[in-house]
Amino acid sequence: MADLTLRALDITKQFLGVTALAEVTLEVERGSIHGVVGPNGAGKTTLLNVMSGFLPPTDGVVELDGRDITRLSPQKRVPLGVTRTFQNLRLFGGLTVRENVLLGQHSHARTGFLSLWPLRTAADKELDREADHALRIFGLTDYRKRRAATLPYGLQKQVEIARAVSAKPKLLLMDEPAAGMTAKERLDLVPRIRALRDEGITVVIVEHDMDVIATVCDVVTVLNFGRKLIEGTPADALASDQVRTAYLGT
Amino acid sequence: MSAYTEAVVIQVGIAILLALGYWITAATGKFSFGHAAFMAIGAYTASILTLKFEWSLELSMVVSGLTAAVAGAFIGWIALRLTILYLAIITFAFAEIVQILLDSWDYAGGASGLFGMRGTTIPLVAICIGLVIVYLFFLTRSRKGLSYEAIREDEQAARACGLGVTRISVEAFAVSAAITGVAGALSAHETLIITPAQFGAPQSLLIILFVVLGGVQYFWGAIVGAVVLTMLPIWFDFLEDYYQITYGLLFVVLMILRPQGIIGRSTERRFNLDSFKRLVPGRSGGGRDG
Repeated sequence: MADLTLRALDITKQFLGVTALAEVTLEVERGSIHGVVGPNGAGKTTLLNVMSGFLPPTDGVVELDGRDITRLSPQKRVPLGVTRTFQNLRLFGGLTVRENVLLGQHSHARTGFLSLWPLRTAADKELDREADHALRIFGLTDYRKRRAATLPYGLQKQVEIARAVSAKPKLLLMDEPAAGMTAKERLDLVPRIRALRDEGITVVIVEHDMDVIATVCDVVTVLNFGRKLIEGTPADALASDQVRTAYLGT
Repeated sequence: MSAYTEAVVIQVGIAILLALGYWITAATGKFSFGHAAFMAIGAYTASILTLKFEWSLELSMVVSGLTAAVAGAFIGWIALRLTILYLAIITFAFAEIVQILLDSWDYAGGASGLFGMRGTTIPLVAICIGLVIVYLFFLTRSRKGLSYEAIREDEQAARACGLGVTRISVEAFAVSAAITGVAGALSAHETLIITPAQFGAPQSLLIILFVVLGGVQYFWGAIVGAVVLTMLPIWFDFLEDYYQITYGLLFVVLMILRPQGIIGRSTERRFNLDSFKRLVPGRSGGGRDG
């Protein structure tokens, strides 16, 4: 049996009678880059919301390393190693870039009343160093004191990924990371996602853009109208007639 | 120092405490519309302890703070998981209920309240303000303070970062209520008499105005707001009947010219239309497109 990080089993999600997901199963292998694609309204983001805990499924089970996490809230999943990014950026716009990254470390940091005491422990200093390291690898060092909302869109996306990675996740769920990026930024994105995988992070990418998926993913799951259409290598998925029909309608 | 000056200084001091207490919950983006209730809880707790049990004022103040904190945690736990519209309604209703209960509580004097409390001095008020400022100084430089700001900025993003939004907001709300309760205790022992009517909606509104006028961005703003709003009625005493009109106009002008408050960065408008969008209930951040 394959080594799985996350297993979403028979996930069904209904919104007021509209079925967004119908018995979708997603098994994410450890150390893989797993793409979830499909046309608009296929249920991709809904699936990501169910996996990250932002939406409870109507039916089905979400397991992380064999543990049932279906009922856990997002903030309880973060310490277990599940973090996410959002389709339409959710940064702390009024806070600085560095503060955004510091907040990503929340689950590893001391945040109780005792942390108000200004003496900094070795662990505090280590977290600071990690934050500065994250800023460096995402090319944000020069912008660390800028308010996040004042950065160009592409850099804001980097801040969001840097923030999610600062939580030291096992599993990173990315919702349309390429959306709104320029062609060059898209090219930069691919090695960056591979680098995350090489650091030991399993990555799930929900994406509309087939090019990015085809380049970076090991496995692709295609959704359409809330059902799993096909699963396989990007080449297989692209070659499938069903996928062509779903995307192009011919 | 004349008795009049002393009374004014204590008034201003209590206003500063109220403003700083309110600022803590405002820092998480949660606006209460019934903070006078925590003032009342503090005032009554301390007054009963000093009058009927002959406790010292200092010890009574500690108990006042704790009682208000418990009430704050309870109300916060009920209301803070909801949208800010419901928070506004629940805190407002809570303050009304507290007033009604005090009105019908014979042991605490009913509608005519309690009288004969004394003991509030300038040093006592100053020590309280000092402690709160030290607390806020360290809070705003800590990760805890940063998590407050994160919740104010974007709750969904905060959840995605692993912040327990409800727990953190309730904690901030309880600390806020505690400081407000202590201010209530000090106020009761300055004015000699307390009645339930003192702790109505106008008092709650005044506390909000301290912070909104000063600006929520820095806690220094709350202090400025409290001082200005407490001194205005004294400075503009000569206006007599026109005072209320001037007061209202001043606010309108200020909110147009400096929506971020007296203290606060002008490039950043904390009080813009976006903050009203959050009033719409049922908007969850997850979204389901895609």
